[in-house]
Amino acid sequence: MTKRKLKLTDISKGEDTQLIDINIDEMMPLPPPYDKVEELRGFKQLTDDQRERLVCNLDGVVSYAALPKPKNKEEEKKYVEQFVSGLKKLLSKENNWTFLQPLLLSIDYCAQCQTCCDACPIYLASDRNDLYRPTYRSEIFRRLVNKYIKPGGKLRAKVTGGDIELNWTTISRLYELSYRCNLCRRCAQSCPMGVDNALISRELRKLFSQELGWAPKELHEKGTVLQLAVGSATGMRPNVAIDNLKFLDEEFSEATGIDVSTPWDKEGADILLIHSAGDIISFPESPIAFTILCNAAGLNWTLSSEIPGYDGINYGVFYDDVQLAKVATRHAQIARKLKVKKIVMGECGHQHKATMTVADRVLTGDLNIPRENVMTFLENIVFSGKIKFDPSKNDFPVTLHDPCNLVRNLGVVEPQRRILRYLCPQFREMTPYGIDNYCCGGGGGLSVMSDVNFTDWKVFVAGRMKFKQILDAFSDQPGPEVKKYLCAPCLNCKLQFRDILEYYRAGENSGIICGGLAELIVNAMVDIKKPYITWEEH
Amino acid sequence: MSGIFWHILVFGVIGIFLIVIIYRTLAITRLPVHLRWELAPIPHEKGKGRYGGSYLEEYEWWNKPQHRSRMAPIIYMAKEIFLLRGVWEHNRALWPLSFAFHMGIYLIVVMLLLSVMNAVFIIAQVALNVLNVSLGIASVFALVGYLLGSVGAVGLIIKRALDANLRPFNTITKYFNLVFLGAVFVSGAYAWFSSPDFASEMSFFIKGLIALDAGVALTFSLSLHVIISLLFVLYLPWTDMIHFIAKYFTYHEIRWNDAPQDEKMKKELRGLLAQPVSWSAAHVEANGVKNWADVTSKKTSDEKEA
Repeated sequence: MTKRKLKLTDISKGEDTQLIDINIDEMMPLPPPYDKVEELRGFKQLTDDQRERLVCNLDGVVSYAALPKPKNKEEEKKYVEQFVSGLKKLLSKENNWTFLQPLLLSIDYCAQCQTCCDACPIYLASDRNDLYRPTYRSEIFRRLVNKYIKPGGKLRAKVTGGDIELNWTTISRLYELSYRCNLCRRCAQSCPMGVDNALISRELRKLFSQELGWAPKELHEKGTVLQLAVGSATGMRPNVAIDNLKFLDEEFSEATGIDVSTPWDKEGADILLIHSAGDIISFPESPIAFTILCNAAGLNWTLSSEIPGYDGINYGVFYDDVQLAKVATRHAQIARKLKVKKIVMGECGHQHKATMTVADRVLTGDLNIPRENVMTFLENIVFSGKIKFDPSKNDFPVTLHDPCNLVRNLGVVEPQRRILRYLCPQFREMTPYGIDNYCCGGGGGLSVMSDVNFTDWKVFVAGRMKFKQILDAFSDQPGPEVKKYLCAPCLNCKLQFRDILEYYRAGENSGIICGGLAELIVNAMVDIKKPYITWEEH
Repeated sequence: MSGIFWHILVFGVIGIFLIVIIYRTLAITRLPVHLRWELAPIPHEKGKGRYGGSYLEEYEWWNKPQHRSRMAPIIYMAKEIFLLRGVWEHNRALWPLSFAFHMGIYLIVVMLLLSVMNAVFIIAQVALNVLNVSLGIASVFALVGYLLGSVGAVGLIIKRALDANLRPFNTITKYFNLVFLGAVFVSGAYAWFSSPDFASEMSFFIKGLIALDAGVALTFSLSLHVIISLLFVLYLPWTDMIHFIAKYFTYHEIRWNDAPQDEKMKKELRGLLAQPVSWSAAHVEANGVKNWADVTSKKTSDEKEA
C-alpha cells in the first residue's frame, strides 16, 4: 500500500483520482510459508474499461457496490442533494428512531483520542493506512453532519478549521469506504467514551441505501430483495430447497449408515430451525449434521419451506433497517403460522444478531416468539445424555473462530467452548479469543461481496489478521501432514475462510480445513461408523 | 471586585451551567427507544460478565430468571472513570497525560466540595482542629490537582500538535478546549503559590457566598483563577466535554442495554412503528404517509431493476 498521510479534506479532492494504492509488500507480515509475497498471486488490477465505466476513486478496489459514473454535473449535483436530504432523515426521530440515540451520541462525543484505531484488524493489517482508520470515515461523516445539518454549521466549519467540502467525490468515496469496515465493533469495544464507529459505517450505508438506493448487489438485489421475492438469497425457491435437502438426506444416509430425514413444515413442532440456505449449497454437511443431531436427540422440530423461512440470513442488518425489519418480520410470521414454541437459528452469526437482538424491538405482539441461539441449543443436545460420544474420534488439532455477531454482539461465548473442550482433545484457543476475537474479514456483509477484485482485498487486507491468528494457533504443528480443523460456526465466516484458505493454499501448505461445530459433534458420535469429517476442502 | 458582584457571577454561572446540563441530558433521555445494539462485555450479567457472556447463553433463557449484578457495573465504571481503564488497555501512550489531566479535574472537584464543607464548618463554628484537618486536605488536593491538571493539559496540547496519529483530527476547538482548561489549572496553581493559605482563602470566599456576605473579597491571583474557572464552567455544558454525562448513556443505554421488551417499551414501540416514513429509495416504498409497520410488512420490490 502506498503509505501516504491522508488528510480528512483529501476525501473531497482529486475527483476520479484514486486516494491510495494497495501494495501487498507493505502490509503486516504473515508467518512462513506465507511470507513470500513474490510467490503470491498479485492484486487484481482494474482494466481500462472498468476504470472508464465504474467509480474507483478510493483504493482501486471494486465490488458489486461500485457505482456507474454519473453522466454529467447535474447528475452529480442531484446525488449530493439527495445525500444532504438523507443526512437530515438520518437525524430525525420519524425516519431513524431505530438508531437515533446511538448515532447522535457517537457523532457528538468522540474525543478524537484514536484509541480505537489499534483495535481494528483492517487498519492493523494494512500497516496502519490512514484510509482504513475507524475514525477516518466517522470524522468526515461527523464534520458533514455538523456543517450541513446543525445551525450555523457552515460558518463554524470555516472558523474552527473542520471544513470538508461535500461534492460527488466525497459521497462516492464515502459510499465505498463504508464497505471497507467489517462492522465487527472491536473499535466500539475499545472506545472509552462508548462511541461506535462501526455504527457510523452502518448508518452511512443505510443513508445510501434508504435514500439514494445505493447498495452492493450481493446484499440488496441478490440479497434481501431476492430472499423476500423467491425465498433465498441463493436464488433457491422452496421446491428446490426441499429437493436439495431430500437429495442430501439420501446421500448422507448412505454415507453415514443411519437414517437421515429432514422434516418440513410440521405444524405444532416445538422448534423451527432456520438455516442459512447458503449452507445447503456450500456446506451441506452442516444442515445434515443438524438433522442427525435433532433426530438422535428425539426433538420435535421442523424446517419451513415458506418464503423465506428456509433462509435465515438477514443482510438488512448490514445496510438497511427497512429490509432488516421486513426479513425478520417474515421469519416471525412463519414461526407463528407453524405454531412452534421457539425459533432456533443455524450456524450463522449475523442471523443471530438480526433475529435475536436487533429485530427484538421490531417483533412486537404475537411476533415476539422466543428465539434461541444455536450454540446453547447444541450444548443442550450434547449434554442431554441422549447421544453417545467418543471424543477420541476428534483427536486432531481444532481451533475456534468466534463470529463477531454471535460472541461480541450477543455474548454467547461459553456453550461452544464447553462442547469443544468435551469433544475435541486437541482444542486450542486463538489469541485473542472470545469477545476480544478478530473478525474473519468477511463481516459486515463483505464475505458475500466478490466482484471485481474485492475478494483480493478481503484476503489480503480484511482477513489478514485472522489468517495470522489461525496459523499461530496451529504453530506447534504447522505442516500439512497433520490435519487441522478450523471451527467457524457461521456461514459468512466460512465463506470468507474458504476464500482465504484457497488463496493461500492453506489446505495444501498447512493441512487446514474449515467447517462448523455441528459437524464436529456428529463426527464424535458413537453411532456414526464412518468419519463425518472427510477433510475435503470446500 | 467585591460584594454582590461575586454572588451574581458565581450563582449566575452555576445556574446557567445546571440549566444547560439538565436540558442536554433531558434531550438525550427523550430520544426514542432504539433497536438493541448491545456489546460485550456487559458487566451486570452475574457470573458471566467477567468473560463477556450474557443471559442468552442460558437454555430457553426466556423461562429463566435473570441474575443481574448491581455492583459489577459500578465497579466497571469506577475503573473506567477514575483509572481510565479503556485508555490504559488500548492506548497506553496517551494514558499518562490523559490520566494526569483527568485526575487533576477530579482532585479539584473534590477540593471544591471540601471547601464548601469547610465553609459550612466555619459558619457552624465547628472545632478548629477538625476545620484545620479538612483545610489541610483541601490544600493538598488543590496543589496536586492543579499541578497534575497543568501537566496533563500542556502535555496533551503538545502531544496533539506533534503526534502524527492525532494531528489530522485536531480542530481549533480541540486546542481551545485544552488551552481553556489548562488556563484553569495554571491559574489555580498560581493562586495556590501566591496565597499564604489557599484553602482558607477559598473556604472563606465560599462562606461569604453562602452567607450572602456583601463584604466578599479576593486577592488578585484567586480572583483571576475564579473568573477563568467560572468562564470555563459557563462554556463547558455547550461542548462535547460533557462526555461525563454522555458516557452514562453510551454505556448503560446502548452497550449494556440488553433488555427484552416490557410493557412500557411495547407501548412506546407501537407509537414509533406508527410514525410516517419518508425515505426516498424506491424499495422502501414510503410516501411520507405510510408508517413503519406498513413498509416493513409489505412485499419488497427492487428499484434497481425497475
